[in-house]
Amino acid sequence: MAELLTVKAIRDAVAAGTVTAEEVTKNCLARIDAEDPRIGAFLEVFHTRALEKARDIDVMKARGDELPRLAGVPVAIKDNMLLAGEKVSSGSKILQDYTSAYTATVVARLEAAGAIIIGRTNMDEFAMGSSSETSAFQKTHNPWDTTRIPGGSSGGSAAAVAAGFVAASLGSDTGGSIRQPASMCGVVGMKPTYGRVSRYGIIALASSLDQVGPFTHTVQDAMLIMEIIEGRDEHDATSVELEDKPVAELLEPSMQGLRVGVPKEYFIDGMDPEVRARVLEAIEVFKQNGAKIIDISLPLSPYALPTYYIIQPAEASSNLARYDGLRYGTRAPGALEDSYLTARSEGFGLEVKRRIMLGAFILSAGYYDAFYKKAVAVRNALRKEFDEAFKQVDVILSPTVPGTAWKLGEKFDDPIAMYLADVFTTPANIAGLPGISVPCGFANDLPVGLQLQAKPFNEMTMYTAAAAYQAVTDWHTKVPQA
Amino acid sequence: MDINLDHIAKLAKLRLTEAEKELLGRQLPSIVEYVAKLQEVDTSGIDPKAYLTDATNVFRSDEPTTVQAERDAAVAAFPKSAGDALEVPGIFK
Repeated sequence: MAELLTVKAIRDAVAAGTVTAEEVTKNCLARIDAEDPRIGAFLEVFHTRALEKARDIDVMKARGDELPRLAGVPVAIKDNMLLAGEKVSSGSKILQDYTSAYTATVVARLEAAGAIIIGRTNMDEFAMGSSSETSAFQKTHNPWDTTRIPGGSSGGSAAAVAAGFVAASLGSDTGGSIRQPASMCGVVGMKPTYGRVSRYGIIALASSLDQVGPFTHTVQDAMLIMEIIEGRDEHDATSVELEDKPVAELLEPSMQGLRVGVPKEYFIDGMDPEVRARVLEAIEVFKQNGAKIIDISLPLSPYALPTYYIIQPAEASSNLARYDGLRYGTRAPGALEDSYLTARSEGFGLEVKRRIMLGAFILSAGYYDAFYKKAVAVRNALRKEFDEAFKQVDVILSPTVPGTAWKLGEKFDDPIAMYLADVFTTPANIAGLPGISVPCGFANDLPVGLQLQAKPFNEMTMYTAAAAYQAVTDWHTKVPQA
Repeated sequence: MDINLDHIAKLAKLRLTEAEKELLGRQLPSIVEYVAKLQEVDTSGIDPKAYLTDATNVFRSDEPTTVQAERDAAVAAFPKSAGDALEVPGIFK
């Protein structure tokens, strides 16, 4: 079914005039219409809007205007990103009829760059989940094996790229929600440094952890998306003016002399031995190509996940206080308190209730210091530990996930087992580092991902290493057979 | 770990069903026990900053910049309204 389709190839073909943006978009829509019923990646496809925008690009081209950087490239967005006039639900029943009043900065920047926003993708409710199964609307199936989950929470966006529907999509990553599904779907997924990309217009999960980033097949494509969406935005006070802005075409992939740190804490007992084997093979590839492999230790790593499961529910329970039935969604009858209780109890699913309860408990009188304040202190200690490690190494290499995609329903009733899928990805969110997952082979016919983490705002080093790995391997060119 | 579910549900503005209470009554203590692992970490001498970036406050003048279309869309999204007036349930009995 799918053949490898890259952002760069589409962009160059539209710019050269060998294909029109309308043809590209029609092909993309046809693939989704024909095959998405089997995958369930999309909650909604913006047929009319996408074709209109594509025709606008073709008019520009016909006039001889200079085309913007991503002219004619279809991109899917996660269902927690606002696009004025279109529905957005964050995978929740409480927002099922909500229409965006404005457009998220990342989406506005993509459209201004000529990208065609093709539709919104399925996700775990309010991005709370690791399998996309907590969505109030549908299940998404892994394109490599449709009896399995795509990972989560950005499972729809990962599956849309893996299935060949689009060359790129956006996800959001609070504890691994881009990198983990990228690993499970055999695509590239990147979480930028906290502050690199604006969160304006993204439905919040945990504001000190959330970052938006791309899913693509290649590192170069990830860069093409990143260079458009990244940088200071006056609407997000935590977004940063960037000193270094990598340009995809100027990247020189290389591993020569690269200091690659391999932390022993990321090769845990109980991880899938096949996953371990694939990552060890990848380390060998780095070594063969001139990288220096350095064994390191990050003793606080095992504490990243418990830290995450304090900070994230605490922030989420505060962020989700706004869903009271007054401002959005469905107004429940009755007096004020009753109306709140009914709207929230009927509108939220079980995982969301679980995390709101956990967050409310952690922040409640008598427990705040023992849990929240302690977690914030450990968070700072973790960051310091990474800062020390990066004096010795340029990138930190590890598996992205301890295993591969599991069967739909398999871990649904065991929250801690589900949370453990994020054990290697949460440290980057806790410490605010950039991380990327790149395909590095297969374990029992299911994709395995390799994670590279770098110093904050040192994406360039991470891209250089990840692109160099892709230059000497072909795992990213493998596509699922229907 | 003793968790008073009724008290927490009240703080969280959630009305839990009996089945949810039974389930969360089992799950929350085991999650809390798992995260309590953090007590093992020595954090004496660590400055507990809530945000890790070195970002400092940036000020701008406080001038209204109403975008009519966004304003109208926000009013339209409000579940109950009459013209420009937003309707909310009574606070007093």
